[in-house]
Amino acid sequence: MEVVVALTLRNNAEKRRAYWSFVTPAFFLYLLVFAFPIVISILLSLSDYNGGKMFGGTPWSIIGFQQYSKLFVDPSFWLALKNNVYIVLISVFGQLPLGFILAYIIYRKIVKWGEGWQAVLYVPAIISVIVLGIMWKLVFASNGLIADIENHLLATSFSNGLGSILAGAGGFHITDGVVQQILKISDPQVIASFANPVQDLKDLILGGGYDAGHLDVFKTEMTNLLAPKWSPDFMSKQDVAMIPIMFVTLWCWTGMYLILFLANMQKIDSQIIEAARIDGANELQVMSRVIIPSLSGVLANAAILCIAGSLNTFALIWAMTAGGPMNITQVLAIYMYQNAFIGAPNFPLANAISMAIVVFSLLLIALTMYVEKKFGGKEE
Amino acid sequence: MKKLAFVVGLLALIIAGATAQDKVPVKFLYYADATQAGYAEDMANWDKFKAANPGIDLQMEILVNQPYHQKLSAYISAGQIPDIMTVWPTTRDSSALLQGQKLLKDLKKVLPADLLSKFSASALDVKQQTSGQISELPQSFTYTTTVYANAGLLKSLGLKVPTNYAELKALVPKLKVKGIQTLLLPDADKWPAQSCLFSTISGRLLGDEFIDAVKAHKAKFTDKSFVGALAFYQQLYTDGVIDKADVNLGYGDGPGIFASGKAALFVDGDWRVGAYLTDKSTGKALIDPAAQKDFELVNFPAIPGEKNKNSASAIAGVGLGINKDLTGAKLEAAKKVLEFYYSKETMTMKWETGAFVPARTDLSSTKLEPLAVKLPAYYKTVVKTTYVLDGALDPSVFNILNDGLQAIGLGVKTPADVAAEMQKAQDALK
Repeated sequence: MEVVVALTLRNNAEKRRAYWSFVTPAFFLYLLVFAFPIVISILLSLSDYNGGKMFGGTPWSIIGFQQYSKLFVDPSFWLALKNNVYIVLISVFGQLPLGFILAYIIYRKIVKWGEGWQAVLYVPAIISVIVLGIMWKLVFASNGLIADIENHLLATSFSNGLGSILAGAGGFHITDGVVQQILKISDPQVIASFANPVQDLKDLILGGGYDAGHLDVFKTEMTNLLAPKWSPDFMSKQDVAMIPIMFVTLWCWTGMYLILFLANMQKIDSQIIEAARIDGANELQVMSRVIIPSLSGVLANAAILCIAGSLNTFALIWAMTAGGPMNITQVLAIYMYQNAFIGAPNFPLANAISMAIVVFSLLLIALTMYVEKKFGGKEE
Repeated sequence: MKKLAFVVGLLALIIAGATAQDKVPVKFLYYADATQAGYAEDMANWDKFKAANPGIDLQMEILVNQPYHQKLSAYISAGQIPDIMTVWPTTRDSSALLQGQKLLKDLKKVLPADLLSKFSASALDVKQQTSGQISELPQSFTYTTTVYANAGLLKSLGLKVPTNYAELKALVPKLKVKGIQTLLLPDADKWPAQSCLFSTISGRLLGDEFIDAVKAHKAKFTDKSFVGALAFYQQLYTDGVIDKADVNLGYGDGPGIFASGKAALFVDGDWRVGAYLTDKSTGKALIDPAAQKDFELVNFPAIPGEKNKNSASAIAGVGLGINKDLTGAKLEAAKKVLEFYYSKETMTMKWETGAFVPARTDLSSTKLEPLAVKLPAYYKTVVKTTYVLDGALDPSVFNILNDGLQAIGLGVKTPADVAAEMQKAQDALK
């Protein structure tokens, strides 16, 4: 008996030694790489550190929650937080459902060429975010692709309208009536810049050397001057300016979740699905009663990844808008970055913002886990 | 054989190590734009220094724009300030800490007196630097408002370079019919509108004494005069002089648009001359030297109601600074680097490649391209220099102005709104 006890004790001691000898190096590495920076970040957010050497330089001290009280009354913080909420919403309620539905369609072979679609939908997730941001910036820019197309259509419409007016006047006969008709189809902002629109425009036309023999030149130049112009004004409106960013966010990473869900769907026993089909379930019922409950844990984990990624989002928005114009597309990570590295740095405030990001993330993740526990199905 | 190879290799390593220890390492964070003409000459010049100073291991890190400021800010916060770096005279970006906390040596006490005596008085004016000392020796005196005018294009359309606002406004419909912008001002980076245009507007209409009064809490940004200056800036957009789309145009896009004749006038700093000159490494120029005669450098036209006629915003230029903790051999090596940089040869090279007009007064050159020659002539037309607002105001105030000018350009905020926000930030500094 004593021998058994002695042997067990020796085994337990050996097990403990083995455990600690394997865990200790990784534990110290974790402390150094993860825990230490977090502790320093918390300390800095409570301090009056003003840059320079942290240790051995200008002395700094802990001053309490001053930076947090400054943060919570700063409208820029709440704007950035609101923009982050938009990103979280489009990620959780856009990327996940869309990725799931597309994965289901491919998994159930509802469309042909499933592997091809997987690849096509996944491509944006593997391209550099900076490249994607610059590409979409060029699309939405005031001199970009969309503006080009819109302005071409407006210019063509104006030019045709001008042609009709001149045809109605029997040729190049510039009277007050003709000028008034031209002004009716012109850009109101250009008209507003004339002191006396009818007289000023008539003088411009008559003094511009135009004649009936050069109607094309006349039409081109009047189009340049007077045609209504489309510009992406929505990119300078708070909240609305986030829509292109949300669209690009959806476009970029839906493919990644598609792959995640598809891989997990393929682990579900196909016989369960066949049995459900035999019992008369349609595709929607199979998805809602069989697939979703089976993947509830995966959905919860994907939601957590979504939330964490959304709150950290920086590169895409920086490449597209740099948080502008006027900081209306700023998110918390950009707000933190600007306080840390642009202009006179305020490191305590920047660290306070990073702590706010962490707290907000933890709250959302806790909510996600609660929802999963309450409503989730049991995975096998 | 293997043992012999090992011993030889080990000996080589020891010799290399010993040799390296004889060299004095100097970390140099240098601000240079690889896309600007003159970069190749600049790098070749530094290679000359390295060849002539084998005892100095000059470790250069070259960056430009925001990446430069971000890297330097990161170095400062890590307590690893480079030995030498490019510094601004005021609280602009990374220099805020360097100047604010006096982290650099006073170059008046470091550089030889006979070198300093060759620089203009304005370059050596300590009042131009936030630290109150010569933390960096300005390589130039920078005029942040310079209007680049395509006089040849205007002449071909029967027009001329405007001298007052009425003439400028009259250009708008005549240029627009040809699909040409009147005045180009890319402002996606936020600072150009304030630094390159509004600072001059403020100087013309209000003068530096107004800004000094605001800082002394004897005047306010909400006063009618300052709101009026912002209102004039707004008028540039409502009159169509500046296109609203420019607010979202990147700073780097400006020179190409102007050089291609899509804008008749372009407002930027004097440093932008370099963008148009011949890049010796490619032999190409945005504006061919033969065509440069058709371009002019002029001041912003007269503004209705201006107090200071023909004034322009200007400030001591950037320069190199030395880490205040340097001593011994490293300090001697750093001094050599600065003496080389500020030498006649290097400053002349910089002038000839359009980087800047040096603050060093004993230079001459026959190799200047026509546009570079026009800069000193432009400076002579400026009767008085006034503040560049991001050098005179606290960052918490001028950052609001930068955002506010964008908002005014987009028609999202009024001048009164922006003035109120600026005053609130100014009051918080009390």
